[in-house]
Amino acid sequence: MKISFRINNDLAELNTLLDQLQVLEQRWTLSRKTLAEICLVLDELITNTIEHSDADKRHPIDISLIKTGSKLTIRIVDAGLPFDPTLCKSPDTNLPLEQRRCGGLGIFLARQFSDHWYYNRLNDKNILTLQKILPKEHR
Amino acid sequence: MQTTITKADNTTIFALSGRLDSNSAPQFEQQLQDFLREPSTHLVFDFNNLDYISSAGLRIVLNTAKAYKSGGYLFSTCAMQEHVQEVFEISGFDSIITIHRSIDESLSAVKQKK
Repeated sequence: MKISFRINNDLAELNTLLDQLQVLEQRWTLSRKTLAEICLVLDELITNTIEHSDADKRHPIDISLIKTGSKLTIRIVDAGLPFDPTLCKSPDTNLPLEQRRCGGLGIFLARQFSDHWYYNRLNDKNILTLQKILPKEHR
Repeated sequence: MQTTITKADNTTIFALSGRLDSNSAPQFEQQLQDFLREPSTHLVFDFNNLDYISSAGLRIVLNTAKAYKSGGYLFSTCAMQEHVQEVFEISGFDSIITIHRSIDESLSAVKQKK
């Protein structure tokens, strides 16, 4: 089962993401919790891509979700500046309030809610592929 | 996202409903400007109807907690839905932000402070 869609590097496009996830929810009968996790992963990664892109240059971001058995494969392809989120350092979540920073928190959350990450730069495009093992009820 | 602001007893309650993400965060941050600059009442974020929070929302919560750290006023959050609470816990925010189970708990903490 596969869903794919294209958005532009504009934060208002997050609404398109929500519409697509609603289609997914109905078609794949996902639990509220699983859907919220998938949404967070995509939201954080796409927001990051958009915020790191050149706002003056419009470029598309292609997103696909493929479900095979218990495995969900998410692929995000964009023609923005080279950026490998798999190299991002995780924030220290044990620091006291005064020393806490928010940098890297989005990527960190996306990692926590998914299982395997692969990054590739090909033909001037960032290609991020990640896998999420779905809970039993979705297999 | 919708924000309902209630003021009572030297406490301002922001009741959020919907989604706090990078799309809605700037507007919420704007509403909080005066509180972040100089806290002048206690502040409670009521998350009872908040379905979703991303790192953009966490950033605002963190900045608010920092603004309230030094003054004499309390800042707390309350009534989180399961997924929102999970995001707080994974980020380690449950150890730096006050989280109450209900708005009543938040309000009685304020009363005890007086």
